[in-house]
Amino acid sequence: MVLTLFLIITLTFFLVEAQPGDYASFYVLNPDLPPEVKDQIRAAFGLDRPVWQQYLIHLKNTVTGNLGVSFGNYPRPVIDVLAERVPRTLVLFLTATAVSFYIGFFLGKAIAWRRGGLFEYATTISGAVLFTAFTPAFALMMIWVFAFKLGWFPVGKFLDPLVWRGADVSANYVFGNMLLSAGAFIVFALLVMLLLKRFGRAVPSVVALPIVLGGAAVIVAAWAISGIGGLALDIVKHMVLPVATLTLISFAGTMLLTRNSMLETIREDYVMAARAKGLPDKQVRDRHAARNAMLPVVTSLVYSLIFAIDGSVIIESVFSWPGTGLTLLQAVRSEDLPLVMGAILFIGVLSLLAHVVVDVLYVYLDPRIRYQ
Amino acid sequence: MTDRRDPLLKVEGLSLSYQTRQGELQAIRDVSFELARGSALGLVGESGCGKTSVANCLMRLLPDSARLSAGRVLLDGQDILLLTEEEMRLLRWRRISMVFQAAMNVLDPVYRVGQQIVEAIETHGVESTEPAARERVARLFRLVGLDPKLTEHYPHEFSGGMRQRAVIAMALSCDPDLMIADEPTTALDVIVQDRILRELKDIQQQLAMSLIYISHDIAVVAEVTDVVGVMYAGRLVEMGDTADVFRAPAHPYTAALMSSFPSISGERRPLISLPGEPPNLSDPPQGCPFHPRCAYATDVCRVEYPPEVRAGSHRAACWHPLDATLVPQG
Amino acid sequence: MTTPEPFGPTPEIAVDAGSRRLRFVLARLRLVWRSFRSGGGTFLESQMGRLSLFIIIVYALMAVAHPILMASVWDPATYDPVTGYSFDQVEQPAPPSWKHPLGTDPLGRDVLSQLLYSTRSEFVLGITAALVTVTIATFVGAVAAYYGRVVDAFFMRLADLMIALPAISLLIVLSALFPLNLFYLALIIGVLSGFGGTAIILKSQALSIKVKPFIEAARVAGGGHFHIIFVHIIPHLLPLALLYMMFTVTSAIFAEAVLSFLGLLDLRMSWGIMIHTANTGGYLLGGTRYWWLIVPAGASITLLCSAFYLAGRALDEVVNPRLRQRND
Ligand SMILES: Nc1ncnc2c1ncn2[C@@H]1O[C@H](COP(=O)(O)OP(=O)(O)O)[C@@H](O)[C@H]1O
Ligand code: SF4
Ligand SMILES: [Mg+2]
Repeated sequence: MVLTLFLIITLTFFLVEAQPGDYASFYVLNPDLPPEVKDQIRAAFGLDRPVWQQYLIHLKNTVTGNLGVSFGNYPRPVIDVLAERVPRTLVLFLTATAVSFYIGFFLGKAIAWRRGGLFEYATTISGAVLFTAFTPAFALMMIWVFAFKLGWFPVGKFLDPLVWRGADVSANYVFGNMLLSAGAFIVFALLVMLLLKRFGRAVPSVVALPIVLGGAAVIVAAWAISGIGGLALDIVKHMVLPVATLTLISFAGTMLLTRNSMLETIREDYVMAARAKGLPDKQVRDRHAARNAMLPVVTSLVYSLIFAIDGSVIIESVFSWPGTGLTLLQAVRSEDLPLVMGAILFIGVLSLLAHVVVDVLYVYLDPRIRYQ
Repeated sequence: MTDRRDPLLKVEGLSLSYQTRQGELQAIRDVSFELARGSALGLVGESGCGKTSVANCLMRLLPDSARLSAGRVLLDGQDILLLTEEEMRLLRWRRISMVFQAAMNVLDPVYRVGQQIVEAIETHGVESTEPAARERVARLFRLVGLDPKLTEHYPHEFSGGMRQRAVIAMALSCDPDLMIADEPTTALDVIVQDRILRELKDIQQQLAMSLIYISHDIAVVAEVTDVVGVMYAGRLVEMGDTADVFRAPAHPYTAALMSSFPSISGERRPLISLPGEPPNLSDPPQGCPFHPRCAYATDVCRVEYPPEVRAGSHRAACWHPLDATLVPQG
Repeated sequence: MTTPEPFGPTPEIAVDAGSRRLRFVLARLRLVWRSFRSGGGTFLESQMGRLSLFIIIVYALMAVAHPILMASVWDPATYDPVTGYSFDQVEQPAPPSWKHPLGTDPLGRDVLSQLLYSTRSEFVLGITAALVTVTIATFVGAVAAYYGRVVDAFFMRLADLMIALPAISLLIVLSALFPLNLFYLALIIGVLSGFGGTAIILKSQALSIKVKPFIEAARVAGGGHFHIIFVHIIPHLLPLALLYMMFTVTSAIFAEAVLSFLGLLDLRMSWGIMIHTANTGGYLLGGTRYWWLIVPAGASITLLCSAFYLAGRALDEVVNPRLRQRND
């Protein structure tokens, strides 16, 4: 899978190389650059050497994180620009994927379990429509309804300058801390669940929810008294609509897949056996039918993740959300080639990560693979 | 309280049909039998004659396409067909458990085998704590001849015979009054089959549990059961003490089945071949369903369903019973 | 099979052998066609199948209608989808009227004419991409299954790579490097899908064909590798290939629309460009007020995409060999 990355790097390099003005000239002809910087770049990128050497240098530079200097954000290095934007994409994309997977799986198993009926019909139709809806148009419609007509959420962008005027902290600082708290919360919740599982039925699961909610309350309270809670809230407000849109367009895939997968596992003998054992209906559905139906759904999660990566490029551009996708688009529009290459590289890294995560998850979920 | 001498299970006039694309398929017609506490009943017949359907009726595990058109299933005098779904759920496994026909996939591949048995024990509150439940599973594993360490393994690590033993352990886990074993050894090789069969018989006697043993293999049924019922085309065509039925079968179908598995009792009898196939249950023949394949069929067989003939507890449905001591009643 | 003469067959023999082979291939195709025809019933029986076919036919008619209308009732100066201008309207964009059933766009051009004109490009795009996909995928699938080992491993790794590529993002980058027109777009999407997921699925199908007795028979009869691949394996892949063509059409139309919407394609006119024009003019956030600028194009993209998608799903029920995806 590292090959994918290698392929992207190689492909972009040679495509740029094949341009009328070669790779070298893109750097050197940039009018914004002072002459001594040009010389530096020449040396750093080996632009005076043969192509294959340039390619090797390019590879080495890429691997060591030296992605060059962005034209559009001169003199910020590409890696700097991306370090700021990648987390923003990650949050958008991970939240949406997690939520849409949960919703899709939940609805999918419900409609497979109670076949026929209005509910199945309605969810399948609306799922299919959302799945095939033209993403930009749908995103714009969401903006129109929830931002313009209802005015619940801001129209786009990452934050509202009016709120931030006079703030003595940077957006990155606030956002970084938000990420930290979210991470801490997730770790906390997982720990609680793990401990509960450990003690088995000795502790009723009703206890879990208050503990987890309590943890959330502590974090929220900490933000409230920190003085920058308002700023964080502003970012959250800007996040809701893009996340919701991305979720809506991608849950249907999971839902339909879960449903099909579930219809197959329902016919399996172990589901019949679970029912024969006298297990409650819900337990038969969740612990046996759905648990097994999840396996192929997780396998295809790779595709949904990549679908969501592409989707987030569109969503980011419509919502002006300054993540990797929007960066890529702006870089393409302003012919800021180093940034283009950096952005696509990171999108490649994202899809690579998606693969790794899915593989690990699958191994965790399927004992037949685990013990091979 | 119930009298110990009353039968544990009494099935009366059970009829079941499936809605299929070809129309209504009568899988069971007017099946009646009794099963005494602690005894073993066999159900034999070719594939497709309704044995599994009877078992599923007793568990009330029927697909949506199935319709129970008549009959009662009395467990200790209580008609389980009238129970609510929730009452039935609590009765399953606790009172009646089942070893399924396709036992290879009965264990859920994603959980440890022991855990799947613990799950049943906990659902029915047979043991109050988890360690006790685990201890019970270990005991059951020993009973069926499995190493208790195997409880921590996953189904795919088990061989076919081990899985079948684990499934039997699972069926025993809640001390059921009745265990239904639906062709429990068909998928296994002969040696393993034989060993499991004998162990099953031992366990049944040891626990004084009632057993319904379903098989198309008449030799196996002869070995394990006290009473046997022979099914053909959804009907119970002959029933009686295993010894009686196999010593002197009254129904030509039973005789034909026996001759295709020679020398159970060592006695020689004329070999009656069994050509053809069981009828299509969507459109069964008129009269006795066996008449197209029966060497003794006469005109009356083709028109009217035969009356029951009896001698003591041995009964059969045939116009021309092979054992003349069986005579119509009333 | 006949062995060729040392100095090449005489013309008659060549014709004879050629026509025999041709007849043979035709017979095979007829067989495939017959299984299609019996499948056609199943296809039309499903509501999905009928609905999708209906939508596709309606759009095909629309595509055909445009040149006819331009040649007969529509005056190019007013109705040309790109250069036309409607002088009779005071304000642009103008709402629907008798002269302009779907109104005009911010640049005074007739929306209906744009819509119909674009329909044809969408079909050309979709079908080209699908043909490229199917050509590559059947070939790759058949070859990988037939030769196995290294060839198989190579193509399957390649397919894994293709699947892992985020296509839209990649296309955005490509559009920065050289002008993407309809043809390149179709080619790229066809290649991505042809070497990617479609190849994997067709390979599994080819594997199941490879073990059928008639392949062995052909080999015993002296059929060469290419003869077996082209005459015996590929015809059996066609039904499934057709199915995956449908999905390629959907992704091609979708990709075109997205890229046009982002203003990255080098096209005269398309549904995506129509929305792009309305969006850059800020008309989209006017909501329902300027509905004719977004609804016809937006709905067309969604409808045609889902029609091809549904057609694929309906075909699935006809030809599906119940192939499982990778990894399980
Ligand atoms: N779910 C079902 N739907 C329709 N027909 C069924 C179903 N299950 C069983 N049958 C039919 O009912 C008849 C009896 O089947 P079964 O009880 O499985 O017989 P056996 O166990 O003796 O082989 C067969 O003809 C079979 O085709
Ligand atoms: S009733 Fe007639 S046909 Fe049926 S089994 Fe008896 S003799 Fe044969
Ligand atoms: Mg059966």
